[in-house]
Amino acid sequence: MEEQLNAAQARDHIEMVARILEESQQRLCAGGEFFVVWGLFGALVTLLGHFVAKGALPATSLWAALVALAGAIVFSIWRGRALRMASERRSLLQREFFNVLWITIGMAFVANLAVFNIFRGIASAAIWNFADAIVLLYIGLHGNRRAQVAGVVVVVSLVVANFTSGDVPAYVLAAGVLAGYCGFGIAELVSPD
Amino acid sequence: MLSKIRLGIVAELLTSEWVAFSELQRALDASQGNLGAHLAKLVDAGYIEETKTFVNRRPLTQYRLTSQGRAAFVAHVAQLQSLLKETS
Repeated sequence: MEEQLNAAQARDHIEMVARILEESQQRLCAGGEFFVVWGLFGALVTLLGHFVAKGALPATSLWAALVALAGAIVFSIWRGRALRMASERRSLLQREFFNVLWITIGMAFVANLAVFNIFRGIASAAIWNFADAIVLLYIGLHGNRRAQVAGVVVVVSLVVANFTSGDVPAYVLAAGVLAGYCGFGIAELVSPD
Repeated sequence: MLSKIRLGIVAELLTSEWVAFSELQRALDASQGNLGAHLAKLVDAGYIEETKTFVNRRPLTQYRLTSQGRAAFVAHVAQLQSLLKETS
């Protein structure tokens, strides 16, 4: 088929392909609302677990975490469907990102629900910070500077929590998720680019 | 895939899971009829797949590249490159 094309046309076609592929190397950005919702959930779980462990709240308060979890899942599914329907293109990069997101969050669930004898107390809360940091740094790797900064904030919260004691680690971890994960989501919503 | 617009369609689909008709039209700056005709040829060749759904009662047509289309694209670009080498 190619003998029908001359060199100038071939060059023109190659340049067009190169331009299209270059433009498709988009900055990875997912809906900010997901980060706000899951950041709030992460902070709530951390603080709730801490206050229950401390005796400041009854153990039955942990049901609030399950209600929040159900709410976050329902919101994510509903919003995810709406965004998918409204969008006109879904890149392979976005698909890969959602795979990373769900695997990471899923593993945090597994750690909380099935590995609680190993990840006890504040460790079960720290798992969420780890998961959030991985997600943010993954987005950051694809050129999103806010995500890079937010990921570092969450990582720093983990390190600071490690070197503090008493009530402080729980507050630091919750603050890390709020500032890093929620903060990133709010920044993306306020100013998408 | 000899046509420039068909090559452009395949290149647009290369890094996407799927792309809507309207987005292809915008990206390639093509008329509805022209784009539709080229898309039909690519579907017939088995290079792309077409999915028609309704979103808020509006029709949404999405396209995705098949593995056959990806292979054809790679082979075609290689041929273009060899043509350029021969003439340079």
